[in-house]
Amino acid sequence: MEWKDIIPVLAGGLVILVVALVVKPALVGEPAVATPGPVLPAYVPPAPLPAATPFPEVGAAHTRTFRWTAIDGGVHTTEVRVPEALFLAHRETPRFADRLAWGRYALAEEDRPILADLARRIAPADGNPEEEYFGLMNLIFFVQQIPYEPDNSTDSYIEGALPRHARPVKDGIEYPKYPAETLVDGKGDCEDSAILLAGLLDALGYDTVLLLYPDHMALGIRMDGFHPYYAKYTPKYFDYGGKHYYYVEGTTYYGGKVSADSPVLRGKPFPIGDTEDASFGSVKSGTPEIVPLHSIPAPAEYRIRPARLPAGGA
Amino acid sequence: MALAIPKIPDVLRLPKIAVDRRRALTAAGAVAAVIAVAFIGWTLHVGWTEDRQVAAFGGHVAASEADLARVSAKISSCISSRPEYPSVAESDTAMREFAAIAEYGRVVTAYHRQVIGADEVPEAYTGVQSAYIRALDHLNRAFSLWSSAAAAYDAKAYAAAKDHLAGADRAWKDYVAAIGDYDRELRIAEEGGEIPPA
Repeated sequence: MEWKDIIPVLAGGLVILVVALVVKPALVGEPAVATPGPVLPAYVPPAPLPAATPFPEVGAAHTRTFRWTAIDGGVHTTEVRVPEALFLAHRETPRFADRLAWGRYALAEEDRPILADLARRIAPADGNPEEEYFGLMNLIFFVQQIPYEPDNSTDSYIEGALPRHARPVKDGIEYPKYPAETLVDGKGDCEDSAILLAGLLDALGYDTVLLLYPDHMALGIRMDGFHPYYAKYTPKYFDYGGKHYYYVEGTTYYGGKVSADSPVLRGKPFPIGDTEDASFGSVKSGTPEIVPLHSIPAPAEYRIRPARLPAGGA
Repeated sequence: MALAIPKIPDVLRLPKIAVDRRRALTAAGAVAAVIAVAFIGWTLHVGWTEDRQVAAFGGHVAASEADLARVSAKISSCISSRPEYPSVAESDTAMREFAAIAEYGRVVTAYHRQVIGADEVPEAYTGVQSAYIRALDHLNRAFSLWSSAAAAYDAKAYAAAKDHLAGADRAWKDYVAAIGDYDRELRIAEEGGEIPPA
């Protein structure tokens, strides 16, 4: 073998080296990234919700008159008118089994005009903080004086029978009422009162929550501080989201009629924060589950962490 | 009796090789050159293939990150635009948007998990790939649980919605941990060396 035989071999190797080291990087550079097979679907925004159809003001309606005692001892008569179509629509609506969803009843858009009107008549806005407090207490007393009637009693319903969507539960019947239903029936149990009171106070702009006990439901009203001079008890409040919600009882109103033939009630209303006189042990010493009215479930973790790209990545 | 060794015929004898030093060196040089060229060529080929695999993997991760950034922007917009005191209608609208984003996130993570899972990567990058796939899996699970939460909310099963969101939060924490593993594995793959304790 002569040198002349080796020269082509070396030349070939040199060409390979040049191609590998110079031509390839120049031509290929960034390797082509294969496009994956299936196409990534695009984001599909949700369809807008249909707007609620308002109930007509005209037409058949239930008119209910409430006689109640105000904070100053004065007896008032308040009339409430609920369109029959609205009432029937509520009666035909299935109830939510999950009590955490019952705040939806208090905020029902269809009931809002009725509640706003009623709340403003009982607690007119006049900008005076003292009057505002009296108005708030009157609203509470108004609801507390709605007669208590358990869900399993047919007397709780103007039809004299259990509604179609009353739900049998372990210890009886469960039928949380929309505020308009409680007003038409003129009766209700603890959750009905708490829901009605929440709807009325919300219509006036108060921040409220439902307080859920194993055997009771009440209301929490947000206050930065509440130390009434007359209180012989320590006002009870619960923390939620860094805010104080004071206990408000919606049902129990001590006493009865002033006389057998009088419609006037006597008794002792429950002031804000009073749990010491409560008839439920769970209220006296327990801590309720708090059901916010205005709340959207949200995850605590939702931030996507950007990952560093490998060298050569786009 | 004395044994006589027969003579080997000439044809069976090995021919005498006349060793020419110059030619032998030339032949050895040629063989060495061929081996060197083959070795260098093979090394270059392997290096090029690995570079190409890493670049393809990096391109897929980049595409995934770009899509995840879009998902992230939608999430941030959805969460930050929620009113402090929403009405029922506003809550329902927000949850419908949340459900749509959850579904989008679920599809995006499933898609990129499939793409990146099919990538062939050099051995040094298998840990990187595995950590990133793990991160996508956790994220996919979190988005699936978001979807379940939105469905539960729609059915007015708020307690179930809360439970699903709590599960999603746990999956999200696992995702964050997996992204941490990915960064660590990537640093090791690019810088070489031993894996430090997590």
